[in-house]
Amino acid sequence: MAIGIKKVDRNVTLTFWERIYAPEIIRGLYITMRHFAVNLWGLALEALGRRDKRRIMTVYYPEETLIPPPAYRGRPVLVRAENGLEKCVACGLCEVACPPKCIKITGAERDNGDRYPLTYELDGGRCIFCGFCEEVCPKDAIVMSAEWRELCEYDRARMVYQKEALLYPQRNLQKRLNLIRSRYFGVGRYRGQA
Amino acid sequence: MIAPELIETAVKIVFVFALTLGFFAPVLGWVERKQSAVMQDRIGANRAGVFGFTVIGLLHSLADALKLVFKEDFTPRGAEKALHTLAPVIAVIPALAAFAVIPFGGQYTLWGHQVNLVVADLDVGLLFIFAISSISTLGVVIAGWASNNNWSLLGSLRASAQMFSYEVTMGLTVVALIMYYQSLSLVEIVAKQENFWHWGIVWHWPAFILFFACAIAENKRVPFDAPEAESELVAGYFTEYSGMKFIMFWMAEFLEMVTIAGMCVALFLGGHHIPFVTQAGLAEALGMFGPNGAQVAAMLIGVGVFVFKLIVLLALQMAIRWTLPRFRYDQIMKLGWKMILPLSLAWISLTGAAILAGLMPRP
Repeated sequence: MAIGIKKVDRNVTLTFWERIYAPEIIRGLYITMRHFAVNLWGLALEALGRRDKRRIMTVYYPEETLIPPPAYRGRPVLVRAENGLEKCVACGLCEVACPPKCIKITGAERDNGDRYPLTYELDGGRCIFCGFCEEVCPKDAIVMSAEWRELCEYDRARMVYQKEALLYPQRNLQKRLNLIRSRYFGVGRYRGQA
Repeated sequence: MIAPELIETAVKIVFVFALTLGFFAPVLGWVERKQSAVMQDRIGANRAGVFGFTVIGLLHSLADALKLVFKEDFTPRGAEKALHTLAPVIAVIPALAAFAVIPFGGQYTLWGHQVNLVVADLDVGLLFIFAISSISTLGVVIAGWASNNNWSLLGSLRASAQMFSYEVTMGLTVVALIMYYQSLSLVEIVAKQENFWHWGIVWHWPAFILFFACAIAENKRVPFDAPEAESELVAGYFTEYSGMKFIMFWMAEFLEMVTIAGMCVALFLGGHHIPFVTQAGLAEALGMFGPNGAQVAAMLIGVGVFVFKLIVLLALQMAIRWTLPRFRYDQIMKLGWKMILPLSLAWISLTGAAILAGLMPRP
């Protein structure tokens, strides 16, 4: 097949005023200086305590933290129900679903016959924050929290979270729980709660 | 006893050094970061602080300078060591020296002593600036050659071609003003701009635009920064520089900005004069301070007005630097030789014709 030449329309036909360039400089300066003036005014208002009036979106990170929306997948945590016990029944589905195999569970049984995880180990150094564990969990027992900062350590061994470090009160996770219910258990059943 | 002239000159030199090296060089580094940040909807540098006081990021200049002073002074293998060391000095000295002939105030009589607020009142001050500023080209060329680096050499080649071509045009744009003011002394030119309608920018605004463009090209700042084009040549002619030598190039750029602004103020914006206020009128309005006090007050106001105009022009240069994209190299040459040069020649002939026909009354 012969190579044909295709003429690409780059839309570079300039008007006379664009061609002499000087008016375009003034137009560009107008745009940048408008941004400058508006932002400077916003910063002045911020200094007077009206942070909400500021146009610049920057967050002063270590002092301020952005709280991510419920769809954000942060560090996976185990849900502690209102009665103080973990919801996990140690079925081991998350262990199987986990792509990097970072979850290790030892199951046990309570006196009343309920199963619970005797140990639950999650290697934060291997976790890829995919959320499969949460998706596969039949009991909404493991969910991705909004926790995203200060997860780094100098030692890999310290990134292995034991059960106690993973347990999280349910009321702090309610938004995420509502979201995953509406997502994974059929839209409509829990509509309006996400 | 030390002659009062000596003291006067020393004070003026100290003032100029304090204004350029002490104030503008570090503050412009801050302005460059902060103004660009606010233009681009960012916050900008605000972390460096002493005991929690960050002074809206002003201390970053100090921190940067401190860091660079303590950095290794690196000379690449195969570089010409002597020239490599000499180049930043050659680049920075002309920028400082050129400011010597720019008047930052008028003439005042303090306690019977005549004070002329310019370090060196040369009769050919304008030519002195052109002569001195062309030396800084050498610094750039030597820096690129002595570094033994391809990027540096390419950068300095571009710089030399660009600076030579724009210097021609820059000189020609000023010719119209020399005809208008009939003088090469900047002090005299500023003195003739006492009346607002004799300011250079009133009649010669095309020359101002051309001169400003050429001056930015001379200083190798965006949109004419092909010699240091980060995305093409790493850092151009100062790729191989670090520590103090790097600071010197960095300072040379900012000092040259100040010099350009100073030249524009002296040639086009009436120097220390306030529009519609004569020197005598200003001294009269300040009469309540007594004859010497009025002169001192007028002097302070004059210097303040000059610095204010300087700051406006510097802010304009910064705004242009953060607004326009870089020209391609051939576009720079085309703009210099095919557009600005003919335009400046046309303006010279127009001015000459207008003066001959009596349409442009000279001050």
